[in-house]
Amino acid sequence: MGRQGDFIHMLREQGYAFDPLRSDQAQSVLSHQDMITKGTTVLACKYQGGVMVAGDRRATAGTSVMYDRTDKVLELDRFCVMAIAGVPATAFEMARVLEHSFKYYRRSQLQDLSFEGKLRALAKLLKENAPAALAGTGTVVPVFAGFDQEQQEGKIFFYDILGAEFEGVDYAVSGSGSPTIRGILHYLHRWGDRPLYSLPEEEAIVLMLRLLSSAAEFDAATGGINFESNIFPIVKRITEQGVETIASEQLKQLCASQVVRHV
Amino acid sequence: MYEEPHRWVEAVGNRRQYLDDQFKQGSPIVALSYAEGILLLTFSRGTPKIYEVYDRIAMGGMGHPADLEKLRFQVLDMAHLEGFNRSPSDVTGARLLKYGLAPTVKQAFEEIFKAPFIVKILLAELGRTKERDQFICVDYDGTFEEVNTCAVLAGASSIQLKLLDDMKRRLEGGLPSLKAAADIALKTWAEGALLHQTVSSDVHLDDEKGEDLEQSISTKEFDEDEVLSHLRQTLTQHTLECCVLDRTVSGSSKYRSLSRDEVTELLPSAVHPA
Repeated sequence: MGRQGDFIHMLREQGYAFDPLRSDQAQSVLSHQDMITKGTTVLACKYQGGVMVAGDRRATAGTSVMYDRTDKVLELDRFCVMAIAGVPATAFEMARVLEHSFKYYRRSQLQDLSFEGKLRALAKLLKENAPAALAGTGTVVPVFAGFDQEQQEGKIFFYDILGAEFEGVDYAVSGSGSPTIRGILHYLHRWGDRPLYSLPEEEAIVLMLRLLSSAAEFDAATGGINFESNIFPIVKRITEQGVETIASEQLKQLCASQVVRHV
Repeated sequence: MYEEPHRWVEAVGNRRQYLDDQFKQGSPIVALSYAEGILLLTFSRGTPKIYEVYDRIAMGGMGHPADLEKLRFQVLDMAHLEGFNRSPSDVTGARLLKYGLAPTVKQAFEEIFKAPFIVKILLAELGRTKERDQFICVDYDGTFEEVNTCAVLAGASSIQLKLLDDMKRRLEGGLPSLKAAADIALKTWAEGALLHQTVSSDVHLDDEKGEDLEQSISTKEFDEDEVLSHLRQTLTQHTLECCVLDRTVSGSSKYRSLSRDEVTELLPSAVHPA
């Protein structure tokens, strides 16, 4: 089986179980929902050069803020990222499994896993994780964004907790703060000065920052922009050159000039 | 018939002779550190001989393609399980080789009723700093050697030593640029290929005729024109494989196979294909 480049299969042969918190064992955990870390806003949107992906930095458990510097936009390889919403423990583990699977496939089969193959790999993990997702201990609702090298275009996909995969043609959102910005994206895309996919890079970054700031306004589990502690959202651009993180200095400057009380 | 110890020693001796013969026509593998990373280079006919193993580790091999594949998978499985279960920083070339590859190769070599692996393998590991770049070569009998700065695989150990000496001399001025490194690697490869031609199939390096040959290999001086013309000729018939572990590449995977344009750019002007 190893000869087919299936890393997850190899892990299982070694006794690794991806889903230790199955629903049948998770009953007692339900009463401890407040202790489970979750709450987020992540989004991806097409722009002129490819796809822009962003996420806030906050991790909450119940009403406590656990951490304010989380990176929820995880690079799986040079051309794709998974922006995570839900339980970080499960999501980080999924990202780790996928990152290793893609590398193992490329190195053993001497060719890159296709874009569709990568999407399926994530969907399979989510499906396997469904019992934990339903029990509330392992809910993960990711946005997958990447540059499809074969078709030479950026693509965005989103999932439900059971692993169903949907293509977000122009944008996709996820997390507790996402309902707020979904409406804004729809409005801007349809009636704005121009469709979102034709935005130049800087405008796309500003849009991401304003949207996350709006989400934080209405959702306590989403962290906004924190000048005092120098904490800005994570913004990454995916182009035909691959994934690049927008430097926090640039974000800081754009926040100051175009996000904080712009008018 | 192998119960008696001397029979066993004789059988192992036969094996060495058989294996030495298998590598005589092989294509040498050359690897060396350059200013921003490590370059691995060889000429191949169809099947590639240089591979990515892990984030900072590459592998080059001589020998039977099927054996090479089998061992490549062993190293890949070991590296990726270790990288996943512990951390990518715990995957090192030395551990993969000492506790994975070398014992497997040695065991197969000594089990005289079974076929040995017809392989010689080189692992190159990009260090966090250039001083910590490392190269490890394992021979068909499982013996291995760790070296810094540069390494080479060739058909016979005397050729390997000679090429390594020459390459070290060329590197004395400090780490070269990628272009200069490619120049050194190409010349080393061509010298190796020319030496392979001198070792005809009916001479064994451990018999009397072989000792003279060994002496002539270690003192051989090459004519620059001969080397360049051999390279020109090889370029028309074989594929030049050039791979780097590039310290300047962003992201965790540092391995990169150079594109055809990049390779053409690196060729010395004297061997540019017309």
